[in-house]
Formats: sequence, structure tokens, C-alpha cells
Amino acid sequence: MGTKSLSHQGWITGILMILPYTIFFALFSLFPILYGLRISFYDWSLLGDKVFVGFENYTNLIQDEEFRSNLLHTIVFTLISVPLVSGIGLLLAILVHSIRRGQSFFRISVFMPYVLSVSVISSIWVIFLQPYTGLFNQILRGLGLIHEEIFWLSEPTLAWAAIIMSTVWWTVGFVFILFLAGLQDIPASFYEAGQIEGANRWQTFWYITLPSLSRITILVIVLQTIASFKIFGQSKLITGGGPAGATKTVVFSIYENGFQTFQMGYASAIAFVLMLVILVISLIQTFVLRRLES
Amino acid sequence: MMDRIYYYFIRIVAVALAIFFLIPVIWMLALSFTPEGQSVFANGFQLSFVNYQKVLSQAPIFGWMGNSLMVSVITTVLVLILSSMAAYAFSRIQFPGSKFMFLLFLSGLMIPAEATLIPLYLFMRDWGLLGTRTSLILPAVAGPMGIFILKQFFDGLPKDLEEAARIDGAGFFKVWYSIFLPLSRPALAALGIFSFIGAWNDYVWPLISISDKAYMTITLGLPMFQSSYVQQYALPMTANALAAVPVLIVFLIFQKQIIKGIAFTGGKEL
Repeated sequence: MGTKSLSHQGWITGILMILPYTIFFALFSLFPILYGLRISFYDWSLLGDKVFVGFENYTNLIQDEEFRSNLLHTIVFTLISVPLVSGIGLLLAILVHSIRRGQSFFRISVFMPYVLSVSVISSIWVIFLQPYTGLFNQILRGLGLIHEEIFWLSEPTLAWAAIIMSTVWWTVGFVFILFLAGLQDIPASFYEAGQIEGANRWQTFWYITLPSLSRITILVIVLQTIASFKIFGQSKLITGGGPAGATKTVVFSIYENGFQTFQMGYASAIAFVLMLVILVISLIQTFVLRRLES
Repeated sequence: MMDRIYYYFIRIVAVALAIFFLIPVIWMLALSFTPEGQSVFANGFQLSFVNYQKVLSQAPIFGWMGNSLMVSVITTVLVLILSSMAAYAFSRIQFPGSKFMFLLFLSGLMIPAEATLIPLYLFMRDWGLLGTRTSLILPAVAGPMGIFILKQFFDGLPKDLEEAARIDGAGFFKVWYSIFLPLSRPALAALGIFSFIGAWNDYVWPLISISDKAYMTITLGLPMFQSSYVQQYALPMTANALAAVPVLIVFLIFQKQIIKGIAFTGGKEL
């Protein structure tokens, strides 16, 4: 039959069907990113004229103490929070997978924080961590772990600890669900084979469970790395970037340069650096996944 | 014997951890029912609604939630319609440029929203949309993730499903909405949940776009309200509870579908 006429009719329908999304993509994703790239080569304070400066914004970035320390904060946060969130998520998933009753109660309580907004979780933790009145210090004191009040938000290291704790609490449920789904997908025959070989619990975990989760582990690490690099809400809302700018991040730099001092070109250059970093992480992930699958 | 001890040990650890995860939320609720300055424990677990009355009379919490609901629902509906339509075309129709467009959208996955803040601000300002709820919806629809999730799902549906309908003379468009949409309900639900949570929780773009209190979403309005209560805990916590409880109720009702949806889309992302 006339497949040719069919596919010809298909042409128009196909194009019409992707058209509405294409308009959104072009107007709110593609054009903005291209325009952002363009203005990153200009000196533009929003009120004044645009002056072409070539790569000056980018070279200034290298010398910008504030940007450098914000970038460093972001990298350190990523290096600590990614293993923590992924590791704890995996441990929780293994724990829940091995119990027969009460699984759904556990799933609900671990996942619940994830549905709350960053504003709610930040405010809860700020109040939770208050010295003297907050519950957290009281719990630590009750367990005998501390003997004097801890002022979580007034010292840089502790402020980061607070941001990391609240981030783990908020997001680990997502990772936990992914790992749990991965665990449930491992065929029972794998474990039976292990039993026949006489593998103990540890060997079973190391030689059967972990390798079967490698794909999902890489996915989790990449998703977490990208998300961690974009951290802003928690540091804006829990510590306000403080004390003394110690918890400011890369997105904080975009926000302050763009919308407080209105240096549009400079802020765009920062945004591009952020995008490049994320691009590199995604490319490494694709590469590793390919090697893993072959 | 050892196995049973081990099993009970694991269960006790699991229950302890589950409760530990709930503590901050329980603390939030406990503080919200305790008048400022009183101790939660001293109050003898009597529920006081005085904080709720105060917060509701001082901040348009319900108005903000209405804005959030409006923005999130419209975003989600648009994402579902536009992505499933495009995903269907990519999965089933051969047309010139389809490979190129698909790759173009795929590359869009690498554009983080944070990288488009500055140009979006400038565009919205020029178009007179800055500060409107529309400005929150439009960029959220441009994310390409839905297309990939749904295309993968559609690719997995057997071809003979639509062949009978095609032979009967149904057009591609009709096959999409009368066969594919009903069949892909689980995938659509998963994507819908993802879009909804994303739109509801968005913070940085509303922070930049919206300055009028009347158009704020709850995620944006909440910290603004709380910032005027520096050394008080009862009213800020009550505001948190007001913002969180509806979300938690929806979560508890649909928790099975939501968790399944996260496992489904999360595992397919990227």
C-alpha cells in the first residue's frame, strides 16, 4: 500500500507535533543560552551601555578572590555531599531491602523530606539547630555527645556541616528510592548462584549486589554532582551565605553579580563557567557508562 | 539463631532511622501548636491554634499557595501535552530533520536553569512579563527531560497497537491521543509528579522575577515572611507547617505512585 503517501502526510504531522515544544525550547532555553554567551563578552551594568570587552570577563574571573572562594566552597561541598548522599542512600536501601515488614513505613519517612520545598526545609533546620532552644543540640546533649552549646551557624565549618546535614536529610530519599528500585531488579537467581558457591553475606554484597548496581550508582553520582554544583537555596536561606561569605557558592556569585550589582556581562560569564563544568561532568559520565556497557 | 538475632537487629536499626528522619517534621508540628515562649514539653501536648491564627492574619499564605498551585498545575499540564506530542512524533513518525531536532533537544539537557537566569531576566523584562506568574511557567515548560522519558516509553510499546487504527484511517494525531496517551498513563503520571514538584519547589528564578508580594509562590513568600521574625520560632514554624502540610497530605495519599514514579523517571534520566 501507499507507504510513500503515508510518510508524506507524516512529514507535516510530525513537524506540527514537535512545533509547540520547539517554540518553548527556542524562546526559553536555546535563545537565552546563546544570548547569555554573547553578553558574557560585554561589560554591561544594565543602566549603562554595552561595551564589548572580549574575554575580559573571563580573565577577570580568574583574579576574582570572591568568585574563586565561592567556586572552592562549591567544589568542597560537592566532594563531601555527593559521597555522603550516595553512600547513605545506598546503605538505607540495603537496610530496607533486607527487612520484610515495615518497608513502606521506612520508605515514606525517608522520602518525605524530598517533597518539601527548600524554603520549608531550610527554615526547619535553622530553628532545629538554634543553640539553647533548638532540639538538635538537646538531642546531642541527651546522647552525651556534646557538653556545651554548639553555635552551628556562626562558624564556617559548622555552618557547612549544617548545610550538608540538612541537604542529606532533604535529598537522600530520592537516591534511596533509586537504589531500592535497583536492588529489587537484581534477579533472585544471582543470589541463588552465590548460595550454591557458599558465599557469605559480605561476599554476596561485594561480588553480587554492588556490581549489579553499578549502572544506577554512576547515574546517582552524576545526578548528585550536577545538583550539588548548583546549590544555592540552602546556603541563601540557612546561612545567608555567611558567616562572612564562608558558605557562598557559584550560583550565589551569579545572583549577586547579576541582580545585586547588575553586572550582566560578568554574571553571564560565571553562568557559562558553571555550564561548562556541568557539561564536562556529563561527558565523563557518558564515557564511563559506555565503557561499563561494552 | 544468629540469623534471627541479625534480622531483629536490622529491624531495630531501621525503625530507629525511620523515626530519626521524621523528627524535624514532628518538631515543626509540635512548635506550631505551642505558643511562643512556651516549651513544647511543658505544654502537656495541648494543641493551641493561636500561632495559626496569627500567621494567617499576617501573611497571605493561602494566596501564595494558590499562586504555587496555579503555576505548578499549568506547568505540569503543558509539559505533559507538549512533551508527549513531541515524543510521539520522534518515536513513530519519519520526517526530515527529526534526528537533528532530537539531538538538539538532547543537548538542551545540559543547559542548567541557573545558566539562563540572566538572559531570561532580560528577555522577560523586554517582553513585559517580568514579575508575572506567566514568567514562572514559560521557562519551566522548556525543559526537554519529558521528551526523553516518554520517547523511551513509546519506543517500548508494540507497533501493532496502532497499525489497526492506522489501517482504519486514523491520523497520527488521533493515534497519539486515543491510543498512546491512555496507554502511557504510568509514564505520564511519573513525569507529571516530577514537573509538579520541580515547579512547586523552584526558588531561584521566582526570587529574581517576582517582587510583588501578591504574585509570590509559597516557596518565595515563606522566607520573606519569616525574615521578619529573627529570634522567634513559633510563627516561622507555623508558616512552615502551613506550607508543608498540604504537600505532605498529597504525598501520603499518592505515596505509592510518587515513589514508583521517582524510581521510573529517575532511573531513565540522562
